[in-house]
Parts: sequence; C-alpha cells; structure tokens
Amino acid sequence: MTKGLSNMGDTKQEMKNRTLTRRTWLQTTAGGTLALGGWLTSCRSKKQGMTIGVAFETLQTEYWVASIETIRAELKKRGIRMQEAIADGDANRQFEQIKNFIARQVDGIIIAPKDKQTVIPMIKAANRANIPIVLYNRPPAESDAKSVTVVADNYAITKATVEYMAQEAKKSGKKCKAMILIGDLGDVNAIGRRDGFEDVAKSCSDIIEAVSRIPTEWNQEKALAGVTNGLQANPDLNFIFTSSDFMFPSIISALKTAGKYKKIGEEGHVLLGGFDGDATAYQMLVDRYLDADGVQDMYFESSASVQAVLDLKAGKEVPAIIPDKGFVIHQGNLKEAATRMWGANIKKQGTA
Amino acid sequence: MSAIPSPSFWKRVFLSEYLVLYLSVLYFLAAWPLVPGLASGANLRDIFSNMLPLLVVAIGETFVLIAAGIDLSVTSIIALCSVVGASLMTADNRVLGGSVFAVPVGILAMLIVGLLIGAFNGATIAWFNMPPFIVTLATMMFFSGFAIWFTQSNKISNLPSGFTMLGEGALWFVPYALIITVVLALLAHLVLSRTLFGRRVYAIGHNVKAAAISGVPVKRTTLFAYLVSAFCAAVASILYTARLETGDPVLGQKILLDIIGATVIGGTSLFGGKGKVIWTVFGVLFITLIDNSLNMRGLSHFVIMIVKGAVILGAALLDATRNRWLAGT
Repeated sequence: MTKGLSNMGDTKQEMKNRTLTRRTWLQTTAGGTLALGGWLTSCRSKKQGMTIGVAFETLQTEYWVASIETIRAELKKRGIRMQEAIADGDANRQFEQIKNFIARQVDGIIIAPKDKQTVIPMIKAANRANIPIVLYNRPPAESDAKSVTVVADNYAITKATVEYMAQEAKKSGKKCKAMILIGDLGDVNAIGRRDGFEDVAKSCSDIIEAVSRIPTEWNQEKALAGVTNGLQANPDLNFIFTSSDFMFPSIISALKTAGKYKKIGEEGHVLLGGFDGDATAYQMLVDRYLDADGVQDMYFESSASVQAVLDLKAGKEVPAIIPDKGFVIHQGNLKEAATRMWGANIKKQGTA
Repeated sequence: MSAIPSPSFWKRVFLSEYLVLYLSVLYFLAAWPLVPGLASGANLRDIFSNMLPLLVVAIGETFVLIAAGIDLSVTSIIALCSVVGASLMTADNRVLGGSVFAVPVGILAMLIVGLLIGAFNGATIAWFNMPPFIVTLATMMFFSGFAIWFTQSNKISNLPSGFTMLGEGALWFVPYALIITVVLALLAHLVLSRTLFGRRVYAIGHNVKAAAISGVPVKRTTLFAYLVSAFCAAVASILYTARLETGDPVLGQKILLDIIGATVIGGTSLFGGKGKVIWTVFGVLFITLIDNSLNMRGLSHFVIMIVKGAVILGAALLDATRNRWLAGT
C-alpha cells in the first residue's frame, strides 16, 4: 500500500514533464534575459525630478479620497511626481508599500497610517534610508523614530462643535439627553474627539446628560445598530454627536425609523453635530437637519504635508507636530465657512 | 537547431509543473523596463522578505487543500496568536515584561494557541463529519471576534527586541525570517513527499473512501493536516507581529484571498489529492511579484485591484485549462 500511495503525487507524465522542463526553464530564463538585457539598459532612464510616495491606509471614506486627491493636486502644482499606495486596511501591506517606496528611492513619503503603533517600524525604515516621512492626519505612538505629523486638533475642534450645540440646546431651555458615536479607540483621533465631547458634557452638565456612548470602530453597520438600540433605550434622546461624518447615513436611517429626523425648528428636532466636513454634512447643513460640524481643514493639511516633506528634504527644521486648527461650521456662518469646507466644494463640483 | 521553439516545446512549457515559475520569470522580465527599481537589489530583497510570512501560512494551507479540506480560520489564528503573544511579551505586562522568559513564553503561547485552534478544527471536521468550509468559517468569525474582545480593539506595543528582530533582523546577512521559513518549507516538503503521513494526506484527498478501505486512519490524518495548518499560521503570526512590532487584533484579516489564491495558483487542487510545497512557493512568488510591481509602478489603488484580480483569474484559468489538457493526455 505504501508503494502505491507514494506514486500518488507524481504521475509518469508529470515526472516526464519535470525532467524535460528543467532544461526548458534554463532555456527560457537565459534566452529571455539575454534578449531583453540590451533593451532594458537603453530603456532605463535616469531619475528625473522629485517623486513623493503617498501611502494611505484606506480610501474607505470621502475624507480619505478627497485627501489623496488634494495631495495629488498639490504635488502636481509643484511639479512633483506622486507614487500612490493604498493598504486596504492591512498594516503589513502598508509596511511592504513603504519598503517599496524606499526601494524606489523616493524623495519623501507622506503616509496616512493604519494606526499609531504599526507605523513605527515604517518610520524607522524611512529613517534608516534617510527619506523624510510625514504622517498625514494620524500621529504615531511615542518612540525614538523621527517623523513630522500634520494633524487636526481633534479635541479642540470637537469641543468647539459640541459647545455650539450646547448653546443651541440652552436656547430651548430643556436639558438634553445626549449620544456620542465613538470611533476606533486604537485611533488617537477618535480618543481626542471623544474627550472633547466628554469635557463639554461635564462642564455643561446642567444642559447635557450623556446617556449613550456607541462604540463604532469606524463601522457603518455597528453605528446603525448602536444608534437604533440607543434610541430604543432612550426614546427621549435629543442630542447626537458623531465622531465622523461618514456615519451620518446610519444616524439618519435610525432617526427616520424612530420618526425623529426633523429639521431645525421643527417639533422633535434632534440636535445633530459631526466631525470631518464631508459632502453629506454640508448637504445636511443646507437642508437644515445638521446644527454644527467640526471641519478638518484638508486644504491646509495637504499643503502643509507636502511643504513639510520638502522642508525636511532641504534639511530645514520642522516641528514634530503641525496642527490644523480647523473650524466649526454651523447655521450662523454657513455661507462664509462653506468656502473652506472641503465637502462643500466636492458637493459644488458635483463629485459627491 | 532552429531558433524558434517547436510547438512541442511550448506544450512542454504549458504542461510543466513549473509553469507558474515560468510565468513569474516572464512577468518579471516584462515588467522590468516598465517598473523603475523593480530589479534593484533592495527591491528584490523586499520581494523575498514580503513573501516569507505569506509563504509560511500558505504552506499550512497546502496540507489541508491536499487533504480535500480548506482552512479559512488561518487569518483569525494569526490575529489571536498575535495578541496573545504580544500581551505576554510586552514591557507593559507586569509579570513577564522585561524578563528573559518573556520571548520564549510568548512564542510558546502563540504556537499553543494556534495548535489548540487547529485541533478543534481538525477534530470537529474528522469526528463530526462537518464540512471544513463551515467549521473553519465559524472558527474564523469566533476567534477574530475573540481577538478584538481580548484587546478591546487596542494594539499591543513595546515588544522586546529579542522578539521583534525575528521580523526584520538577520543572523550575519541571513534574515531570521528566511531561516525560519526555509526550515519550515523543507520540513513540510519532506513530510509530504517522504513520510507515511504525507502519503496518507494525498490518499484522503484523492478518495477518502478508498483511503479508509486501504487502512488509512482518515480521522487522525485529517486532524494532523489541520494541526499543521494552524501551526504554520501561528509561525506566520510570529513573523508578522515581529515585523510590525505590534500585537494587532485584526492582523492578517485581509490576506485570506492571498493565502488561498497563492496556494491554488501554484497548482494545489481545491478538490484535494494534488499539491506540493514547491508549487506553493511559486504561487506565493507570483502573487507577491504582482503586488510589488503594481505598487512600484505607482498605479492607483483601483487599477491595482483590477489588474491583480485579472492576473489571478487569468492564472487560474490557465491552470484549469492545463489540468484539463493533462487529463486528456
């Protein structure tokens, strides 16, 4: 039986093929290499101009798509080539992409990392290759790796947004029962936004009572389930802040199901606030469903990231953190602030 | 001697078990002038270093595919082993953190966790006659969720350098990851081609009833195939965790298609009874090369996904045509 089984992996035909094709392999490889050798030598052009590698963790939301497009436009404006890599949410793939950039000898790297920890070996790899690296929108964990981060002041922007909402709530004279949709707590930005909300809720405890905290891990489905459950548990809930605008479709769906999706001024309106400044939020502001939105100044962040890479390349001193102060857009300043809101511009261009 | 190869030459190439290797070489040569830096020493080193953890986990998958099974839980094994090992080794751990025992205990725990999941998969499939697809899909969901619950979505950092060097460090000029992978691949090759267990794996993959009648211990062999798969996934977890210097509860979540795709593209049959470790090496090389070259070319994400999907589909169709042709000869 053993003898019979031993032949199961290799038929006679396969054995014959293998014997013949070892020679074939050598012939193919040697022939191909020789034939292409001269051509390749002539084809390989010398490196011209600058190339910046741009590595994004994901293009899952409007914010990331708009960011990479803004960086692309910024680099094009300055006559710099861009090499793009998207990791599709996989930290290991992002690490491999950074190593690709290094092998390609790019002049600088802009990275929107998967998270603050896994980016550390990537920064170290860039440091070892002496390639400047700038983190877009997400700062790294503490380490001896050297990088520059351009990031929104998540805490301050959220605080200002929720403070505006609290003022609006105060006008109604009623105490609000509030919900927050929290992002992935492995993401320092999500923590900043949560803390901004919590601090206002604490300081305005006479106006806001936080009764529901929904952990979404930046996931639409979890947001929808969480808001639906939260509305069932607290039918009198009338104040919702989401840590990212991309979760508004989930909130709208749950509010509509509960019969609570009302315009500002209508009876039963739920005070709504968000963070990012995307096209959905802009449309909700225009339609008077959204009270306030914390906006990340994407144009500043993109241009500052490119400038930081160039400055580092030129050997200039660059601060480790370049903050984007952002701004709050609300019904009171909608017209003038919309010109700086990236989502509004996307909406006006008809790309959203 | 004619300069143009004869039709029989191309037929031999097409039917050869090295076809995927030829395709890799041809693809590399074709992409070389189009992708600046593709053939640079640094990039070739990257291609081989990127191959290693994927190859390790794909070798394990080869065993279960040959045994006419499938293991979808490998990605959850990678994630759970990563967070269990990292939680024991991290400097933040008050018991083991900073101790000389942290690394061996952490690695041992990772391997044990992997083997336990493999034992559960194998035993459930073998003794309860449950479809491997359902069992491993369920364990994938369960242990992926468990890894996230275990860490509350947090990543675990501050891992000891004695561990992280396994990812990117080298013994003289030979990376540790390469040593581990080569040893594992050789062992797997020897087990499959030179041992009774290996022959039994092929036997149950060919025809499980015939194998049982012939006296092959089907249940035990199935169990061991899943143990091998889980062990390889645990080793891959060690390599991934070490290179990222982080225990990550979603580590490997996105690579299931690469693992199974690379194994099948190499020539291992999804229906069992056919496969070799060397074929899996070729499959992993092919898929890594495609990924690397498309990224190096600087194409947009969407174009890369379209091209990669098309190339994998093309390779799979080629393999299917070849198998049909072989069956007819």
